[in-house]
Amino acid sequence: MISVSGLHFSYDGKTEVLSDINLDIDRRSTAIIGQNGVGKTTFIKILKGLLRPASGKVTILGEDVTQKSAAQWASVIGLVFQNPNDQIFKKTVLEETLFGPLNIKMTPKAARKRAMEALSAVGLADKTDVNPYDLNLSDKKLLCIASVLAMNTRIVIFDEPTIAQDWQGLERIKAIINSLKAQGKLIMTIVHDIDFVAECFERTVVFNEGKVLLDGDTADVFAHVDVLRQARVSQPHIAQLAELAGLRRVCLTEDEFVRAFKDYAFIQ
Amino acid sequence: MKQLTLYVDKQSFVHAVDPITKLFYVAFAILTSMLVPTAYAGVICALLSLSLLCLAKVIKNASPVFLFIGFVLFTVVVIQGLFGVNNQTEAFRLSGLIFYREGLITGAKIILRVVNIVSAFLILTLTTKASDLVEDLVRAGLSPRIGYVITSVFQIIPQMISSADIIMDAQRSRGMETEGGLMVRMKAFIPLIGPVVLDSFMSTKERAMALEARAFSAPNKKTFLRERPAYTYAAKLRGAFVVLTLAALIWRLAA
Ligand SMILES: Nc1ncnc2c1ncn2[C@@H]1O[C@H](COP(=O)(O)OP(=O)(O)OP(=O)(O)O)[C@@H](O)[C@H]1O
Ligand SMILES: [Mg+2]
Repeated sequence: MISVSGLHFSYDGKTEVLSDINLDIDRRSTAIIGQNGVGKTTFIKILKGLLRPASGKVTILGEDVTQKSAAQWASVIGLVFQNPNDQIFKKTVLEETLFGPLNIKMTPKAARKRAMEALSAVGLADKTDVNPYDLNLSDKKLLCIASVLAMNTRIVIFDEPTIAQDWQGLERIKAIINSLKAQGKLIMTIVHDIDFVAECFERTVVFNEGKVLLDGDTADVFAHVDVLRQARVSQPHIAQLAELAGLRRVCLTEDEFVRAFKDYAFIQ
Repeated sequence: MKQLTLYVDKQSFVHAVDPITKLFYVAFAILTSMLVPTAYAGVICALLSLSLLCLAKVIKNASPVFLFIGFVLFTVVVIQGLFGVNNQTEAFRLSGLIFYREGLITGAKIILRVVNIVSAFLILTLTTKASDLVEDLVRAGLSPRIGYVITSVFQIIPQMISSADIIMDAQRSRGMETEGGLMVRMKAFIPLIGPVVLDSFMSTKERAMALEARAFSAPNKKTFLRERPAYTYAAKLRGAFVVLTLAALIWRLAA
């Protein structure tokens, strides 16, 4: 659905932030991981049309991104910004959530319905009249998610959705991602929380120094311990545990671990 | 973040002079040209400032400013030449319009004065970092609070520009057109004003607290991060500027 070839980008025309990225994003839910400052946010801002590539080609649903303005792409791709303060600018939670749907020409009635659904999904339905500046960081982030969900785009990109979330917020975000997956939407997420990656994403792309270091099914990617170490990415805890326990399989969830452990114990 | 500064980073003996001595120069150049009763003083001061700008290798950066004031001053001369209050002696005619000598001279004096003031200040602004100037003023006894307020003003505008950019990204990414013709931009700009101003107030408030948390208003004397070596000729130059300005004053009083 998204294809990227020979992508280069630089903010100042001198230091390359992204150098020669080639990726084909398919229907699998995709996590992008990598150290701070390797260019993950920059990459998705290019996909979204907010930044123009220096060279290379990005196509979305077969169309060159640079052919349309970011605003025109808004009805196709939703982006939840990394820093909620960069995204929120309306006076109430409801207005903030309605902003996108109304811009992409939903009828006021449909927009309101979508907005309320999205706010319920993130647990903010009872705060519609609150000024977003008065929300705590976790709720701000959830509001950002809601305001993108309300637009009902085919592609949804999250930049670090799990920032500042407690357990309940994390569970909500997982539920949202799973329901988007069930609706057949394309989901891409930048995350630092490796355990979250292991649990929710089918495909993982590791960025390092402006390049794609690893790319593949999540379990395969986490099998490359040495390469991951080069990018200073750790394995998910459950995979580390499996390795310490001497299991020869990369486990990504508790269930997988228990199954592998039982098999192992049985063989012993 | 973009910086709101005209400072041009080059190596020259003008750059090496300390900010406060440059302030002395600005005062000297402006006062002398106004005090000395002959127009030559103004010409000499202007030439001096312009050659210092050349020697500091910043004349190129100064030229847009001169171009702009040149345009304004040209209209002043034309208006004075045509309609000045003391106009009596005809100087020349241009397609039926009569220009008068008195008005043209008044115009020329205004030009000289403005060029003097502008070029003296350009020496200061093009070759001095605002932060260095403020730091030196604080060293010389200016209250750190006022110093901070001055530096904040230099920071708040670029900060507003970058938060405007950020909010614009937020708007475009949710379908509001911000690229395109003037009308589109204007329409996108208006809803921006509230959040941008609010945002800078918020961050200013946060910053004030962050400053307090790190003992900004503690009553003891502060130390400075950079111990810049004192400029060797500071005292001599400052003294010379003061003496010359006083001489100009005496000349004026005696004349
Ligand atoms: N607006 C900008 N102007 C100039 N440089 C920038 C800008 N935004 C980011 N950079 C630089 O580009 C590089 C990549 O930044 P980016 O935000 O894409 O990294 P990231 O992988 O998202 O990091 P993080 O995990 O910290 O969010 C960094 O070195 C950063 O300093
Ligand atoms: Mg980032």
